[in-house]
Amino acid sequence: MATYERHHCWSLLLRLFHWMFALSIIFLIVTGFYINTPWTNTMIEGSASFPMATMRYIHYIAAYVLSSAVLIRLFLYIFGNAQERVWDILPITGRNLNNLKMTLLQYSYISNKHDERLGHNILAGLAYLLTFIAALLMIVSGFYMLYPESAFWAKWGVMLFGSQQFARYLHHITMWWFMIFAVVHIYLCIWNDCTEPEGLISSIFTGAKFKHKA
Amino acid sequence: MADTVKKVLDPQLDRRGFLKGCTMAAAALGMSEAMIPKLVEAAATAERPRVIWLHFQECTGCTESLLRSSHPDLARLILDIISLDYHETVMAAAGHQAEENLHATVNNHPFILVVEGAIPTKDGGIYCKIAGKTAMDILAEVAPKASAIIAIGTCATFGGVQAAAPNPTGAVGVQDLVSGVPIVNIPGCPPNPVSFLGTILHYLTFKRLPALDNLNRPLFAYGRRIHDHCERRAHFDEGRFVEQYGDAFHKLGYCLYKVGCKGPETFSNCPAVRFNDVDVWPVSVGHGCIGCTEPNFWDTMTPFYERLPMVKIPASGIVGSADKIGKTVLGITAAAVGIHAAVGIGKRLIKGKSSDKA
Repeated sequence: MATYERHHCWSLLLRLFHWMFALSIIFLIVTGFYINTPWTNTMIEGSASFPMATMRYIHYIAAYVLSSAVLIRLFLYIFGNAQERVWDILPITGRNLNNLKMTLLQYSYISNKHDERLGHNILAGLAYLLTFIAALLMIVSGFYMLYPESAFWAKWGVMLFGSQQFARYLHHITMWWFMIFAVVHIYLCIWNDCTEPEGLISSIFTGAKFKHKA
Repeated sequence: MADTVKKVLDPQLDRRGFLKGCTMAAAALGMSEAMIPKLVEAAATAERPRVIWLHFQECTGCTESLLRSSHPDLARLILDIISLDYHETVMAAAGHQAEENLHATVNNHPFILVVEGAIPTKDGGIYCKIAGKTAMDILAEVAPKASAIIAIGTCATFGGVQAAAPNPTGAVGVQDLVSGVPIVNIPGCPPNPVSFLGTILHYLTFKRLPALDNLNRPLFAYGRRIHDHCERRAHFDEGRFVEQYGDAFHKLGYCLYKVGCKGPETFSNCPAVRFNDVDVWPVSVGHGCIGCTEPNFWDTMTPFYERLPMVKIPASGIVGSADKIGKTVLGITAAAVGIHAAVGIGKRLIKGKSSDKA
């Protein structure tokens, strides 16, 4: 029988980031679809019914939660624990490059070997970094649309996007990345949990992973 | 029968029309009532600034909208307070005489340059020539000597329809070719004559150009979003939309958002100033805004009756709505996930759980 030992992997702040990020994205996508294509038509005049205003209100609250989550992740990329720092997932060292290769081989069923490490594997880490950058794009384009008359956002918005409409277009297209990412992310978490019994899924609640005793 | 010929040609303006025009401009500029006498004074007494008006790649719609406003006062006021030395549509001179007027002003006097129309730059600029010279050469000759440049209309500011993809003539706006001279952009297709008048009067009164936004548009006219001043905004917030043109909701005057109105991403004073002195603008008569005051609007605001531009996938010929392509990619991803899972299960069934690492 194998014996496992418990390793602390994710700080409370990272777990907070994860759930703020995940839940805000769910709300943002649903309300975002409504804002782009309102699927209701109230047709009632003079009533206290504000579906579009309410959806926008929820969208903006969720947007502030997402922005806060991204700030937390930015802090953790620099000041987090060993697994959380950005250096841990960049394919710049021999060890990390090897992990990237082994992960790709394992995911394509070519090899059964699992390169054991406590934090993210490099493939996952890079996907999370890309999602982090996509979230930054959503935040900048979102605030540009929300505060078009503020000198700060108008300056940056025009510089980065040229016009509100182009910001809106990028904002909408980038949203699809989050949905595609979610499908792959949830699947691979379940897949890894089945393949390697290290408590991957529960680690995002408890912060602990289980490793073979050396 | 009114003497229409004399009305058009006679630059005389009655005092009532003159004061009305100044008041409209003051309102557009957001100035206090107390400033109106100063505007009037500047317009009446200042030396009439010389203006050269160059036409390049355009339809003359901006000039037309200025001159053919239902109420002639505005056009007459503009023609009364400026000395229009060169304007291809309205000048009496022709041929060499016109060229001589142009050069006399350019070389001997301070002047304001108004540009209407985009400038083609491809193949040495041969796609627009006047008097044997390309638009690029004419602009390069005239623009550096101007004390200020007003680019009127979306063509002169951002390239307009000529610059729409694939932009066969390499058309660009004035600001892409000229530097070192203050430029004011008054985009729109056409822009409101009041925005042009306000800029001119501001310049005459204060001897400087009005405050500009990041796209060099005067803030008094382009500082606010159309959506935020729209008379149909309540219908938007309360979720009442026109589903298609001509339906019952359209007749009730509901919000045009779902039929592609670009008011939420367009900056202009249209809902406040309106057009043609009869208090109309596109949205008030039941057509959505097409976003004509924004850069590259022919590319980013089309299809005019959809919310977002189509996605073009390079080198594949695939053009589709963002949501259609998004759904396709998401479907492919889900299918790939399913296949991956099936392969894993299949492999395990064939090989058995022999490699149990425990």
